[in-house]
Amino acid sequence: MAKESFDKEIQFLRMLVLTSGAYNRKQFAERLGISVHTFDKTLKKLKEVVSTVYQQLPEEQGQEFAESLRFNYYGSAEPMLLFLFRAKSLKDSESQRIARLLSALHEQPLTAKELLDICCTDEIADVSFPDEKTIRGDLKYLAEVGVIRKEPGPRPFRYRLENDLVHALSDDELLDLFDFVDVMSNTQLPSIQGYLLRDGLRKQLSRKAEGNESLEPFLYKYHYYSRILDEAHLFPLLSAIRYRRKVEFLYFSPRMDQSYASQNTNPLFARETEGKQETALPLKVVYDHQYGRWYLLAWHSRSDIRKYRLEGMTQLEEAEVVSEDFFEKKRQLLEDRIRYSWLIDTGRPVTIQCRFINPQADGAAHNFVKERVLLQGQWGRIVEEDECSFVFEITVNGTTEIRPWLRSFGSSCEVLSPAKLRQEMIQEWKEIAAYYESF
Amino acid sequence: MPLTMNPFEKIFNYQLLARLQDSGTFLATAHERSWLKLMLTHPSAAEAFSAVTLAKLTTLLQQDEALDLHGHFVQKAGSLEAQVYHPLLRPLRRAIWHKQGITMCFLHKDGSCGAEQSGFPYRLEYSMVKREWYLLWYNFRTRAYVSTRLRKLKLLSTEPLTAELVASTLAEIGRLLESRKRSAVITVLPEYNKELSRILYAFSCFEKEVAYDPELQTYSITLTFLGNESEYVLSKLRFLGKRVRVTEGGYLIGRMRESSLKALRQYGMNTPD
Repeated sequence: MAKESFDKEIQFLRMLVLTSGAYNRKQFAERLGISVHTFDKTLKKLKEVVSTVYQQLPEEQGQEFAESLRFNYYGSAEPMLLFLFRAKSLKDSESQRIARLLSALHEQPLTAKELLDICCTDEIADVSFPDEKTIRGDLKYLAEVGVIRKEPGPRPFRYRLENDLVHALSDDELLDLFDFVDVMSNTQLPSIQGYLLRDGLRKQLSRKAEGNESLEPFLYKYHYYSRILDEAHLFPLLSAIRYRRKVEFLYFSPRMDQSYASQNTNPLFARETEGKQETALPLKVVYDHQYGRWYLLAWHSRSDIRKYRLEGMTQLEEAEVVSEDFFEKKRQLLEDRIRYSWLIDTGRPVTIQCRFINPQADGAAHNFVKERVLLQGQWGRIVEEDECSFVFEITVNGTTEIRPWLRSFGSSCEVLSPAKLRQEMIQEWKEIAAYYESF
Repeated sequence: MPLTMNPFEKIFNYQLLARLQDSGTFLATAHERSWLKLMLTHPSAAEAFSAVTLAKLTTLLQQDEALDLHGHFVQKAGSLEAQVYHPLLRPLRRAIWHKQGITMCFLHKDGSCGAEQSGFPYRLEYSMVKREWYLLWYNFRTRAYVSTRLRKLKLLSTEPLTAELVASTLAEIGRLLESRKRSAVITVLPEYNKELSRILYAFSCFEKEVAYDPELQTYSITLTFLGNESEYVLSKLRFLGKRVRVTEGGYLIGRMRESSLKALRQYGMNTPD
């Protein structure tokens, strides 16, 4: 069976959370490059996952579904989009059987034979009894993902649930662990595995503290919560980099109108795709904190270093392996090119000087301008300073990527050089001033 | 054998999860443990756990392989990670959990303690921009709902509160939060529709709703935020520059106008006012 792909669901959810409520069903489907029928099917599937995970039933329409996924800051720090990673299909009989095995192991360590007996004595009317081979297959899988482990000792082997993490810790320690996992999965990257662990710990804790509503005391401000959708591609890419493998994928530049193309061969759903088939050697994955977006930097045989946004990558597959030597050369090339990238620009380095004006407000408790420049100015440094202002200098590849950051300081930042950037900033402020002239 | 991380493992399946709900079975995969092992190498782990717990966790994860990013993954343009944990998180989160009141003082620059304050701790908030923790709390004396940097606080004691006081304080906080809500409409200039994805990403850290007018091909974003967050919204607006324009929300409009005129003056340009 072909590997189940979640490209459609990822693109669907991304569009849903980014454009919350902007499109009707038809417009939504059109922009995703799917039929209205596929739109309905995808929505139905996602709703089923959400309602099982959160045990609440979303309404019929997509708009209301978007509503239930809406970012509600004070509501909860619950990572709502995590449910995507619970969408892997599993046959009913299989999920019943595996759940039965795990619940039995939750009680005590057991052998394959004992587990088979348990599965065959259950009074579940509509399920046929599994054979030993199936059970052994399940146990092998569960051991592979590290949920159970074989106990040392003579045959027949006993299997036990790998749940020491919760059993070896006191309640107080468990609370510390939950907090640590919560804080780290929200402030560090990657997050998915942390969120999954957080989910398990939260259930354990709430079972112990029934009725307590203040289990989640933490809030995270200015958090790009949809960033976890792209983490789906992070791990296959990291694995490709690790094994020096090229990857193939269908790429949709974010500037295209469509963001997905149906793989369906049914002519009813077949449409012209705008995506581009790409083969490239992944070298580095970059997360941009300014927008909460992910990039892949890769070597491409026709154009050297190429940059891709993870959100535009679909149908990702591993391809041929390259030699260590080749990989190392390309990696070094990339490192040299991005040394001065504010984000990922590999253009010509240019030295920028700006004057930052200190806040004048009476009694301003602290210099928040300088504080922010020091926090976010990357490798730039302050080269001159007096009571009213300071001059910040930084060498970056091109001026495009740093410009929004400089502009975000408003009148507290004056570009001194290069002259071209200074002129561009003046021009932009003129245009912005013109927007508000009539008010 | 190195672990191949597939975030879509069938063990994470939602139906399986639901079925395990009743038996209270706790599952943690090697993926989750290897993530945890990596995180425990962060300096904040020493602040999050007692030495005993940390040693216990290290032993528990001995067999696991820490998630290895091999330097193949980098983060750019973020704020320096000034603080991830703060020693007050542990006592304060417990006070929040038990719905206790707190007595504390503000620290002066020289480290001495100011007047005692008593209040109700509501939430601990981390700013991804300032990289710092804040306590959101209700001050019983001034009846104000405030946000205070943890590094400015000294916790003196915690006290039990009556259920009535907890309920009325929570209701009051809810009312105050509601009354501080502001909204503004931001329109994307149609010539920048090609950059829509970038623009929407920039606003994805706010509560928002997007409307699309197919005739004018115009997107407008209604943002909802608290009054004290206006500064951050403004910095985002300046960040995006001429791609967007505030069309509703008098305060932001005024500030954007002021900001652009002041910037032009800074550059020595004569401006109409």
